[in-house]
Amino acid sequence: MPLETGPNDFEASLKPLWMRAQQGDEVAYREALEKIASRIRGFLRWRMQSMPDEIEDLVQETLLALHLQRGTFDPGLPVSAWVMAIARHKLVDLWRRRGRRENLHDALDDVDESRMAAEPVEECAQRDLDRLLRELPDVQRQAIVLTKIEGLSVAEASMRTGISESAIKVQVHRGLKRLAQWVKDTGS
Amino acid sequence: MKTQSLIDMLAKGAGPAPRAPVLQRMAPAVALGLLGSALFALMSMGAIPAAMYETPAPWMKLGYGASLALAAGWSTARLSRPVARTQWPLRAVLIVFATMLALGALTLVISAPDQRMAALLGETWLTCPRNVVVLSLPALAGALWAVRGLAPTQLRAAGFNAGLMAGALGAMGYALVCPEVSATFVAVWYSLGILLTGLLGAFLGPRLLRW
Repeated sequence: MPLETGPNDFEASLKPLWMRAQQGDEVAYREALEKIASRIRGFLRWRMQSMPDEIEDLVQETLLALHLQRGTFDPGLPVSAWVMAIARHKLVDLWRRRGRRENLHDALDDVDESRMAAEPVEECAQRDLDRLLRELPDVQRQAIVLTKIEGLSVAEASMRTGISESAIKVQVHRGLKRLAQWVKDTGS
Repeated sequence: MKTQSLIDMLAKGAGPAPRAPVLQRMAPAVALGLLGSALFALMSMGAIPAAMYETPAPWMKLGYGASLALAAGWSTARLSRPVARTQWPLRAVLIVFATMLALGALTLVISAPDQRMAALLGETWLTCPRNVVVLSLPALAGALWAVRGLAPTQLRAAGFNAGLMAGALGAMGYALVCPEVSATFVAVWYSLGILLTGLLGAFLGPRLLRW
């Protein structure tokens, strides 16, 4: 993977992938998420020097939120602006939960872009999403495991479980939403 | 879980992004809010006589409420996205307010001096703003629910605009039962009720809209 440094390179390489992903191209979506993850990690690493162990947790929380809200992307704006707005929102929310209010905006606005260089995606979070996944209600967990981990199509998952295709999609979405909520509430 | 596993999971079977999620959540909130406000107004206060619909008064109130609901709904929809482009929608909101205030001022100026107090206060100025706020509550609940499921990042502004929209919808419901006829009355007391609902939304926004 080439190393991106400037914000414009990032946008230029992300936008085409992202537009394909929005149309339903999974391969493009995976690649876009990888680029986004390393970008967010760079951004947070610089902002969260006092809590380095939690960076990866927040990367994952942001990715989950971004996935659930990908319908709110406005094609008239840069993808990177949308992504970073979500990452910033999640960071502010983490600080709020920790009761750190001082100088929030100063700290956020003067982002030094060169510090946001890409990082390889290999890190492991403290928070155990696998465990949270196991604690989801059965229908939601089953729908997620079948379609999103075992990789069955929605139609196959529907055949396997006897649940309608639209119900599978609803359960997957609800499960991910609940996961996102837990992740936000536990905040490790 | 490694981040790469999460990415694999999110991408697998992701399908296309949901279409028009903002409209999908806002539309039912607006419809139910308007319906709730109208029903609650008619049941608790009794409709104005049918003959009043032949005068401009109720239409002026409904027109004001509808334009403001549209403009504030537009800005709320924009504020429901992480990066909000609000310049034009906020201008639209201001234009609607300014038009109503100008109309109210004009009415006040052209009415006979001894009629001015009546034009301003009517008979119900004391209860009008409160009624508008109360009748806005179904729409406010719906609007906050809608925005909460989206991705606002300016929570106070999103709450305020959702409140303005709800206030405008509540004003439309109140128009069905309000006996006042003067544009000055509407410009002052309806607007006050709508602004109070907006402030309630701004207060609730940072508390309820986190995601």
